[in-house]
Amino acid sequence: MKEFEYTITDPVGIHARPAGLLVKEVKAHADKVTITNADGKSADAKKLLALMGLGIRKGDTIKVTVEGDTEDGTADAVLKFLQENL
Amino acid sequence: MALDYHKCAEEIVRYVGGRENLISAAHCATRLRLVVADNSKINVKAVENVDGVKGTFSSNGQFQVIIGTGTVNKVYDEFLKITGMSAATKDDVKAAAAAKAPLWRRLLKVVGDVFVPILPAIVASGLMMGLVEALGHAIPGFSDTDWYNWLDMVANTAFAYLPVIVAVSAARVFGGNIFLGAVIGLLMIHSNLVNAWSVASYEGTIPTWHLLLFTVKRVGYQGHVIPVIIAVWLMSTVEKWLHKHVPEMIDLFVTPLCTVLVTAFLTFTIIGPIFSTAETYVLNFAQWLITVGFGIGAAAMGAIYPITVVMGLHHMYNVIEAGMLAEGGKNIWMPIASAANFAQFGACLAVGVKTHNAKRKAVAVPSSLSASLGITEPAIFGVNLRLFKPFVCGMIGGAVGAWFGSVSRIGASAYGVTGIPGYLTIDKPLQYTFLLLIAGGTAFVLTMISWKEAAEVADAPAAAAESAGQTASAPAESSQTVKEVVEDVPASLSKVIIKSSAGEICQPVDGTVIPYTKIPDPTFASGALGQGVGIEPKGEIIYAPCDGEISSVAESKHAIGITGANDQELLIHVGVDTVEMNGDGFEPLVKEGDHVHCGQPLLRYSLEKIKAAGHPDTVVVLLTNSDDYENVQYGEDLNR
Repeated sequence: MKEFEYTITDPVGIHARPAGLLVKEVKAHADKVTITNADGKSADAKKLLALMGLGIRKGDTIKVTVEGDTEDGTADAVLKFLQENL
Repeated sequence: MALDYHKCAEEIVRYVGGRENLISAAHCATRLRLVVADNSKINVKAVENVDGVKGTFSSNGQFQVIIGTGTVNKVYDEFLKITGMSAATKDDVKAAAAAKAPLWRRLLKVVGDVFVPILPAIVASGLMMGLVEALGHAIPGFSDTDWYNWLDMVANTAFAYLPVIVAVSAARVFGGNIFLGAVIGLLMIHSNLVNAWSVASYEGTIPTWHLLLFTVKRVGYQGHVIPVIIAVWLMSTVEKWLHKHVPEMIDLFVTPLCTVLVTAFLTFTIIGPIFSTAETYVLNFAQWLITVGFGIGAAAMGAIYPITVVMGLHHMYNVIEAGMLAEGGKNIWMPIASAANFAQFGACLAVGVKTHNAKRKAVAVPSSLSASLGITEPAIFGVNLRLFKPFVCGMIGGAVGAWFGSVSRIGASAYGVTGIPGYLTIDKPLQYTFLLLIAGGTAFVLTMISWKEAAEVADAPAAAAESAGQTASAPAESSQTVKEVVEDVPASLSKVIIKSSAGEICQPVDGTVIPYTKIPDPTFASGALGQGVGIEPKGEIIYAPCDGEISSVAESKHAIGITGANDQELLIHVGVDTVEMNGDGFEPLVKEGDHVHCGQPLLRYSLEKIKAAGHPDTVVVLLTNSDDYENVQYGEDLNR
């Protein structure tokens, strides 16, 4: 299992569109990716609605957990995506 | 499909607190809509467990039981049998739900509900009358021709027999038999009665009847509205009471007979005299009022004139006008009436210009044209009075215009025409132009400023289209109550826009459907968020397009996620980039975790505000996990 934290810089947070892109990114990997918001609520990053339900806004620090056979690569890819888009 | 309709209905009645707790019942395409006296007596859980019930929810004073298409009407029939209630239209249920509004509002609503369905008749008649009368005055000799005579007859039919039309419509509103309503309406303008319009010129004394202790003048109710509505209300009340208390065996002949007899008697002995007394007082008052100096009296009269139109007392004014002309003076009443009428035109036109509601626009524009020709009933009853503020603005405009008319001492040489045709009889056309501009302009500007449609709730899209033929009710107009959500199921909900191995998704709002690839946003159009459609919306309420659970409501209120059957993850996103509006103009009607049923209102939004913020208003509906399913189809009306 791999874990890292990331602070959102995108002004609108993980709203529908960015969330959709994130889901798309995560879906490209077989590993299970879980995102936990500042309140400790977590969501499967492959489920758009669950992700949106976290209500993540700019400045929030989220915890990303990756579990699976290729977790190292997946975690890097997700972090890269977050840095580029959120 | 072995649902026992009777048992289903019976259990619903039991769990909503029995017959005593029910005020009215109607049904729409999928739901029983009940108005109950005491919501706390409803055992919601038990109702939801009744075999055949798919769910319930409460809104706007209605308790709605979801049963399903094709079944609900059968359950409803049983429901009526069990409770002994009479079939109510959705509008009745709404009326009962609105019963908590103040009395004067409710009365206005009744008058409006009666008038809206008959507007086509009186708009046609009003416009024609205005034109024919104008031609009669404009072309010398035309009024003696056969054409004029014939046109005049065609034009005034709806007005000459207005009480009949009003009575039929009122009977429908009050739940009485419409044919008995027609009888009452016909009775009130029976040819054996002296026509109300010719009372003023009637030679000799008007004949009377002596009935018990009453002396009844044999005068008809031509041109009247309010007495007719009251009479039909009375009729409907009597009829319903009799239906309940007369044994079924003799009900068919006893009830109609007694209903007509009792209503007729009370109409002529009580309602009639009250109104004719009121008329006399109003007439005397009006005659005195316009003699008050400095134009103050005229201004006051200009203000209250439309109220007397509402009361149906305005036809008496011909007496005043005829009197002025007979005494050799000029008709100074006409400018007052003209100002009042033209102000209603201005107010109605403002509504027509400002409204975003296509139906309201379609009523307001022709109604205002008719008003500009001096026939104000369509504008007053169909538009201004219902919305009330425009009516008041019209009164103010009328007052200002009438004041100007009085101080500039203009007058007419005949009577019968006001508004634009008034030019034909007026002595000072220039001042008359100012009068019309002042009256109409004031009302127009005031209405534009003070009347805000946004303060009301937009009509549900194509409310009338609700489930073909199930209720023959008139299209529901929104009332002014801010909180009321007019939540008829829009026609769009019968259309499937996304279909896959997981199920079907209906169209949540009326409008033009486009494939997701045409959505004016690269991310949505790329399919990154799943497949689906965009809708260029015609309505301002999003309805649940499927049963499901609300999984997310965006902080900025413009997007809602629903998890439907087979884990379908549906995203409804109103507008593009509307996240930037930070919730302004959006009002979610559900919250995260709510279980919703197809057709339940989810989110209300303002197209105007989206437009003002400069964003496309496309409603995006995407099956975000469309990759998980097979045979995903999307587009307009996949039912076909």
